[in-house]
Amino acid sequence: MKNDPGLLDVLACPSCKGRLQYTSDEKLFCDACRLVFDVKDGVPVLLVEEAEPAD
Amino acid sequence: MKALVTGAAGFVGSSLSDALLQAGHEVTGVDCFVDYYARALKEDNLKKARQSSSYNFVEASLVDAELSGLLEGVDWVFHQAAQAGVRASWGADFRIYSDNNVYATQRLLEACLAASVSKLVYASSSSVYGDTRDLPMTESSATRPVSPYGVTKLAGEHLVSLYSVNYGLPTVVLRYFTVYGPRQRPDMAFNRFIRSTLEGGEITLYGDGEQSRDFTFVDDIVAANMAAAAAPVTGELLNIGGGSRITVNEVLALIGDITGREPQVKRHDKQKGDVVHTVADTSRALELIGYKPAVGLREGLSRERDWLQSLDAGLIAAMGAV
Ligand SMILES: NC(=O)c1ccc[n+]([C@@H]2O[C@H](COP(=O)([O-])OP(=O)(O)OC[C@H]3O[C@@H](n4cnc5c(N)ncnc54)[C@H](O)[C@@H]3O)[C@@H](O)[C@H]2O)c1
Ligand SMILES: [Zn+2]
Repeated sequence: MKNDPGLLDVLACPSCKGRLQYTSDEKLFCDACRLVFDVKDGVPVLLVEEAEPAD
Repeated sequence: MKALVTGAAGFVGSSLSDALLQAGHEVTGVDCFVDYYARALKEDNLKKARQSSSYNFVEASLVDAELSGLLEGVDWVFHQAAQAGVRASWGADFRIYSDNNVYATQRLLEACLAASVSKLVYASSSSVYGDTRDLPMTESSATRPVSPYGVTKLAGEHLVSLYSVNYGLPTVVLRYFTVYGPRQRPDMAFNRFIRSTLEGGEITLYGDGEQSRDFTFVDDIVAANMAAAAAPVTGELLNIGGGSRITVNEVLALIGDITGREPQVKRHDKQKGDVVHTVADTSRALELIGYKPAVGLREGLSRERDWLQSLDAGLIAAMGAV
């Protein structure tokens, strides 16, 4: 897989459609919703049910 | 070209993704792994594509994902995602069908308007025709689905046409006639029939076996999608069939042949929502996108058998009961 950094840049939060930040521990974070989305083996998992609340 | 394939972990979507990559295109796949059948099978479908450096995959649902990012720079959209299955579409689960087949399609179309897509190909189904005596089915035949699933696929088609007519979105609707081959869904008849015959088990058959179908090998479906994307046609609706009509009893005999075993069949009453006969007139697809089915039933069934025999026991078990 390409695991395209460009792709990670354009992905958005499925809940608020806002931008996601790619974190240092290789996850995607929505600041507005305080949700952390996993990136499993290079695959962003953008499902609200699977997201972890931050903090 | 850059393609977005929805339902990319499924039977058709994964086969199409592999072919697009093989042809040198860049592919982004999206799928949310609906639990209609085991995730392990879909992960297996994805294995080949994931080895390609031209492939991206995102686990997301078209029902709530923000699609603009996924559509950036995309030329071709192949909308294969759907909740499949005729029988399960009755009753309480209908919401799953209306969400994944109708609402998801509307969201994708809206997102395509804002992007610079040069073609959206929508995977429709012969189930939009329903039971008809008007055979072969041509694109202008009446559409009277006999299952809620068929109703949602037809609604999706209508949405695609509306966006094409009202906004000039370049689209092609393909009506697939029963698809089979490697990676076929475990709930589908040929998959169950071959597995059961190989295992020496009993095949559950709904109806007397004299129902006939136009069966289409998955590579032909894939070729039709690629041709529909590349051809200078828009706003079209095309039947994609396999070129021959055969009864289920004839299929069973053929499966006996290619497995070297006698299929054991237990017959049940016909289920509501099952169509008795389907036959596609594919002359329009030939004329407009040069579509001609290339794989016959004996070869196609043999390739599905080879695939089933190549899977490890864990994946076969994940397919569930025959
Ligand atoms: N297999 C056939 O015989 C046949 C016949 C006619 C039409 N079709 C159509 O072809 C397409 C592919 O069918 P298939 O047999 O490969 O089915 P499949 O179930 O193997 O693949 C469909 C995929 O779509 C995914 N999906 C469903 N809803 C989604 C959503 N909201 N967001 C993201 N992904 C979602 C599922 O997880 C699944 O992996 C479907 O549109 C189906 O209606 C299939
Ligand atoms: Zn958010």
